[in-house]
Amino acid sequence: MTLTLSEPLFNALLAVVKILFVWAMTLAALLPNLIWAERRVSGLIQDRPGPNRVGPLGLFQAVADVLKLMMKEDVVPLYVDKVLFTLAPLITLTPALVTFAVIPFGSSIPITWNGAVRDVPLVIADVNVGILYIFALTSLAVYGIVLAGWSSNDKYSLLGGVRASAQIISYELAMGFSAAGVFIAAGSLRLPAVVEWQHAHLWNVVPQFLGFVVFAVAIFAETNRIPFDLSEAEAELVAGYHTEYSSFRFAMFFMGEYANLIAASAVVTTLYFGGWSLPGVAFTGLWGGLASIAVFAVKTAAFIFLFLWVRWTLPRFRYDQLMELGWKVFLPLSFFHLIAVAAFVAASGR
Amino acid sequence: MSAQMIVFALASALALVFALLMVVVKTPVKSVLSLVVTFFGLAVLSILLAAPFIAALQVIVYAGAILVLFLFVIMLLNLQKEATEKDARPIHRVLSLVAVLASGGLLAGVTLRAGAPPVPLTAPAAAYAIPAADEIPLLGRLLFSDYLLAFEALSVLLLLAAVGALILSKRRFE
Repeated sequence: MTLTLSEPLFNALLAVVKILFVWAMTLAALLPNLIWAERRVSGLIQDRPGPNRVGPLGLFQAVADVLKLMMKEDVVPLYVDKVLFTLAPLITLTPALVTFAVIPFGSSIPITWNGAVRDVPLVIADVNVGILYIFALTSLAVYGIVLAGWSSNDKYSLLGGVRASAQIISYELAMGFSAAGVFIAAGSLRLPAVVEWQHAHLWNVVPQFLGFVVFAVAIFAETNRIPFDLSEAEAELVAGYHTEYSSFRFAMFFMGEYANLIAASAVVTTLYFGGWSLPGVAFTGLWGGLASIAVFAVKTAAFIFLFLWVRWTLPRFRYDQLMELGWKVFLPLSFFHLIAVAAFVAASGR
Repeated sequence: MSAQMIVFALASALALVFALLMVVVKTPVKSVLSLVVTFFGLAVLSILLAAPFIAALQVIVYAGAILVLFLFVIMLLNLQKEATEKDARPIHRVLSLVAVLASGGLLAGVTLRAGAPPVPLTAPAAAYAIPAADEIPLLGRLLFSDYLLAFEALSVLLLLAAVGALILSKRRFE
């Protein structure tokens, strides 16, 4: 078949294929299974079966959940701000889906085009500010929660929104400073470069364990998961920012939370656990490329499990404890870590 | 008209329209949100100028941190509607008009004196002297060499502002 495509058109087509692949993986494969996994893992931890009726092992539980939510009456309270009330769930969902653009999800796959073989890197956009792009998006995700809380015109929702905004700002700094260590070591802000550096040397979790701990805790805070889900806090705030949401609007928050969780796990994997690489294994050729995708998926899944495990075993922090921990413990720790890494890199003369 | 010009026009229009909305809208929360959209427009302009790093910082620092803090304060004080115009005294209007004219005139003067940009906006990104990969190291080196004094002075200024705000708010509670 002689199909001639101009170079830009070919690249655009490749990008579209990658985007479709990544979204199919996260939205169609991971997300529903994650909803199922959350409920099964909680069952496991609480010594009960969990949902096991819909489909084999209860695997279609997510479908049933979402269908149920869609069938329910969509209640929009009278005094809400209609525009923002509608936009808020969308704003929560979007950043998580766009984060995947810069995450390398595999090594590369050879594709023959115009008679020449070229290695197509498995990352949608290899931008030179990779991690900053992710930070920009994660810091925007909070707008969905804050706006939901404000537009609901209800004091519990408002309190949830206020808490979320303060919480995100408090943990964003620690997150940024701990991640900066990774980039000082790799000498680049590009995520593929970070993965390649770890492939050539050592997974960052070993030399930068402190940074990893700070980053992981900050990510729990940024994704609003227990023990830091103070913006929901059903014991005190009814359901926090989504108190007034019902039906499919609620389902969007629900999906947004899980999409954020997947994105966060993918980022931790990329920064600290070598991304798609395995020590001593060279992923080349078509099968190597596919295997590297599998490696990345398994590592991400392991992190997602950690998120679930923590959620069902740890109690929630009190709000003042959360703030104290963020500003008085994790921020100084991340400073210390950054200075230590910078000093080490400078001393080793790179 | 190149694709770049179209994006430039769209992003500028977006930034300008929402900047106007930010001033006109009566609800403080919506003002903040309009400003967020304006910053996005500006970030796109930075990307067009082959400065993705500046664009990312724009979004992280302004849209992601400072404006979230604004929202936090507005929500904490639970400001629903801006004070109506009736409350404003005539002297306020006169003063604000003077301020607008002065800053507008200043901006116009600077723009006129600056003349044409060294590289035309229609040129492809590669025409700029700095390759994208070197942008961040170059920026860092400049900040800590040529612009060290300005950089440190700004840091001290910010620190002073923070300390000042703390002292002022403490005094009120005592």
